[in-house]
Amino acid sequence: MTSPEPLDPALAEFITSHVSLQLAATDDSGLATAVRCVGCRVSADLRRVTLLMPRSQAAPVLASIAANGRVAAVFNEPKSYRTLQLKGRDGRIEPPLPDDAAALQPYAAGFARRLAPLDVPEPYVRTLVSCAPDDLVAVSFTPLEAYAQTPGPRAGRRLGPGETGE
Amino acid sequence: MSRSLSLDRLRPCLEGIVPSGIATCGVDGMPNITYVSQLMYVDPEHVALSFQFFNKTRENILANPVATVLMMDPDTAARYRLTIRYLRTETEGPLFERMKAKLAGIASHEGMSDVFRLLGADVYRVQGIEAVPGRELPPVAGGPALLPALRRSVDALAECQSMEALIDSFCTCLTRHFDLQYQMLLMADEAAGRLYIVASRGYAQSGAGAEIPFGVGVIGVAARERVPIRIMYPATEYAYSRMLRDQAAAGGLAERLETTIPLPGLPAPASQLAVPIMAGRRLVAVAYVESQRECHFGYDLEDALVALGATLGLSMAACLCVEAAEGAAAEPEEAAVAAVPAGDAVRVRHYARDGSVFLGDDYLIKGVAGAILWRLLNDHQRTGRSLFSNRELRLDPALGLPEVADNLEARLILLQRRLRDRCDWLGIEKTGRGRFRLDLTRPVTLHAEETG
Repeated sequence: MTSPEPLDPALAEFITSHVSLQLAATDDSGLATAVRCVGCRVSADLRRVTLLMPRSQAAPVLASIAANGRVAAVFNEPKSYRTLQLKGRDGRIEPPLPDDAAALQPYAAGFARRLAPLDVPEPYVRTLVSCAPDDLVAVSFTPLEAYAQTPGPRAGRRLGPGETGE
Repeated sequence: MSRSLSLDRLRPCLEGIVPSGIATCGVDGMPNITYVSQLMYVDPEHVALSFQFFNKTRENILANPVATVLMMDPDTAARYRLTIRYLRTETEGPLFERMKAKLAGIASHEGMSDVFRLLGADVYRVQGIEAVPGRELPPVAGGPALLPALRRSVDALAECQSMEALIDSFCTCLTRHFDLQYQMLLMADEAAGRLYIVASRGYAQSGAGAEIPFGVGVIGVAARERVPIRIMYPATEYAYSRMLRDQAAAGGLAERLETTIPLPGLPAPASQLAVPIMAGRRLVAVAYVESQRECHFGYDLEDALVALGATLGLSMAACLCVEAAEGAAAEPEEAAVAAVPAGDAVRVRHYARDGSVFLGDDYLIKGVAGAILWRLLNDHQRTGRSLFSNRELRLDPALGLPEVADNLEARLILLQRRLRDRCDWLGIEKTGRGRFRLDLTRPVTLHAEETG
């Protein structure tokens, strides 16, 4: 594997700004599956992205990642529709860090604030992204490819270095 | 597939209110995931996804047809995974039109009308449904219970003995049992490819006589495709005023179409539903309801109105058959000669080119209804008669009624309501099956004009 570029700081900021998160994986028979995530962090060197999710909801995703490490994560800002997809081949299941459980409430509150202009009630958002701290699991990966997916004819375009897909 | 989880019960997840995720697998084994708001319920075994651009999801699906959808209930936040297999793409027809209309609502809701152009409806078979565990909100019970409302409405229609009673009872049922405040019922004129309003509720003007061509707007598309069209958000491109204006400008349509009578309707409806009323395979009418609230009409209401519409359609067809058969024998009871009313005469003009009738300077109506009124007024003027039968109108070649399924009764109802809307001195009233009376309280002078 070639040594990947670190994530553009603007992209790192976007994906950790309490946007909508989903993680997909594929099993060895070619079936893709997905789970909604409840948090995201990026390593200090911008080379590793970690998504947090309820283990109880992620069973097929975790099984696929354990088998082959292939992942795709989608990040969406509901009001602007700005959407970004990151892909990696070295997905790894990890226990959450001590701070991860503490980040659940700020994520839920931030995501609810993003959906408030679309008239989505806060209890709905909190329910959608609720996760018991002891149910939390992390998946980290090195992003190899980034795609802009904001709806339109240019959706799916691969981003080059320095591009942020805005 | 799990027996307890039926797609029929998960339809709110497929309204596009909360976007779903769709995960696919590329030929290189890599996953791809994207958000879609245009996933639609087709039937208990199938869903459809809009095809707007050739993107990675589509590339993957064409190579490896199995995908997973992660969808959310818009009320309870319950999550489900659907395993789906791509079958085919439809680029025209009822499913395509349903999706196009729905997409138009979503697109204008999202400010993306120029971006969203439907190329096809990709149909998938649902191979599995998995409930994803996690917290849920209690289900919301909104609106009236639909099955009891349907039952009461079917019972009410069964009591109706005439076309007029069916029309009024249907509208009353929608208001009373389904709590639908804004509604129109439009009869179909298949030969002319258009619909005309016979009844409406909730608007300042009834709009009786106003016309919509097949294919235009939610109502016209429902008529052309014989399929319910339902939009959950304001959709500017399905607004009638704009489309009729554009169409009229595009090609001489205004001459043939009744555009002078303004269509009633909310200026910017947030939810719209048009249901074709069928008698077997024949289109009889279209029922249209609208609301100022977004996402107000769900799949279940659509089902209920389709079921009620089936009863209405068959009842209307039966009514027309009986009326035509009995009307064949019915002659006016007497050649009653009405006293000539007193007062200033009203000048009534008729233009043969389009059948339009003016009372004084005021436009009344055109087309078949205009021709009928002109014929009645002329008869009345010549002979003093005021009692008429449907049969004699049917036999009059000048009226241009189609041989089969002439819907004369519906046209008389429309004429009666239009007159009620526009003047207080001229009207028609039914006096029995296949018979009616012309009521005049002012004298008229009749002027046949050759040109418009």
